[in-house]
Amino acid sequence: MSTIDRVAHTNRWRSRSLSEKALLAFGLLVVTLAFPPWPTAAAVLVAAAAAAMVGARVPVRIWGLAMAAPVGFVVTGAATLMVSLGDGGPALAPNGLVDAAALTLRASAAASALLLLAFTTPASDLVAGLARARVPAEIVELALLIYRFLFVLADTFAAMHAAQEARLGHVDWRRRIRSSGLLAANLLPRALDRAHRMEAGLAARGWDGGPLRVMTPRRPVSAAGLAAVVATLAALVGLGVATR
Amino acid sequence: MHIMEGFLPVGHAIGWTIAAAPFVVAGSIALRRTLRARPEARLTLAAASAFTFVLSALKLPSVTGSCSHPTGTGLGAMTFGPAVMAPVGLIVLLFQGLLLAHGGLTTLGANVFSMAIAGPWVGWAAWRVATRLGLSTAVAVFLGAALADLATYVVTSAQLALAFPDPASGVAGSFAKFSGIFAVTQVPLAIAEGLLTVVVTAALVGRERSGEAGLHPIAGGR
Repeated sequence: MSTIDRVAHTNRWRSRSLSEKALLAFGLLVVTLAFPPWPTAAAVLVAAAAAAMVGARVPVRIWGLAMAAPVGFVVTGAATLMVSLGDGGPALAPNGLVDAAALTLRASAAASALLLLAFTTPASDLVAGLARARVPAEIVELALLIYRFLFVLADTFAAMHAAQEARLGHVDWRRRIRSSGLLAANLLPRALDRAHRMEAGLAARGWDGGPLRVMTPRRPVSAAGLAAVVATLAALVGLGVATR
Repeated sequence: MHIMEGFLPVGHAIGWTIAAAPFVVAGSIALRRTLRARPEARLTLAAASAFTFVLSALKLPSVTGSCSHPTGTGLGAMTFGPAVMAPVGLIVLLFQGLLLAHGGLTTLGANVFSMAIAGPWVGWAAWRVATRLGLSTAVAVFLGAALADLATYVVTSAQLALAFPDPASGVAGSFAKFSGIFAVTQVPLAIAEGLLTVVVTAALVGRERSGEAGLHPIAGGR
């Protein structure tokens, strides 16, 4: 379903420790927000891209497409900063172009930090990490179940959507609304039916409502990896402090 | 409507997280209580939440030629109640950030506030009031779903306006700018999602009447 999820499971950093990857991504995020966008955010953008494409071997095209998605929102939002509404109607804002460029740069850098984490770590690993961070077990378990259902439902969704399209179900506005509504209405009972079947299967295996145990491979933190992450972040903080 | 990662200044990101936290905690406590009492409900809830996520892959036509996706918050609030939507919305938004690069981690608090708190409560209230006033089910469902969307859009515009006030006319002018730009996609989307939700509920009620396996709410049990 999601390109990001496929890459997250197959990239070269898949077997690296969650702590290293999370420290790097969150570190980049904090550095981006803590210092003025130029030049720190630009450096973060480069660092995240290098880590993803050189380190984790995320294909260049996939990284580019994923980065392009958030840019639409960022540009629309930043464009409003260039216009000022005064008494005499709309006018160009003083310093608007600089503000808009700074915001675009900072938001793109932050998005690249998030994408780095998303592309190198499957969501299931991140959720398992939440459990170690003492998020209540019920919430973590619900998140893991949702993650599992996502892909099952997405497959069903794709099949139903293809069938509707083959029968001209999406050719105009009215039909699209109707077809989409029917799709959703048929998908929900199927989703709930799957939940009932899974529940019956678990009950048959003696599940009494306790935590669902799954095997998570141990991925120890490597000293070299951790050192590289800390060095990268320290260099970026140094750049931020020096140019403040 | 998601605010992208890194778009909000640090103070605002933290502020919205603090504002959203009580709702998420209260919702989580309600959720825990339900799940302790009936462990099997977690599968139903997980399936329904995954359904909400998958719905966002539906492309709805929009006047500008661009496509928008439904949020499902109105439907969720009318089906499961608005309180539970806060923690469920948090999880769904987290996955949207991590799997689709929609939204982000620093803006999670602001997005939860607009999409998993303001939207569901407004939609649910509109649906209840419309039902009380004796309006037909279709009209009540339409209002519930459409107003949930509109509330989300208004709150998001306000969040952006507070973060980026206009140099000449302040927060009010900035709100006019943001809401004006996003109205182009968000108002048609709200109407489309309202109509869509009416079709969904009508079809579900039809299934229920014809004796097929229809909607079993959480309280329905096995």
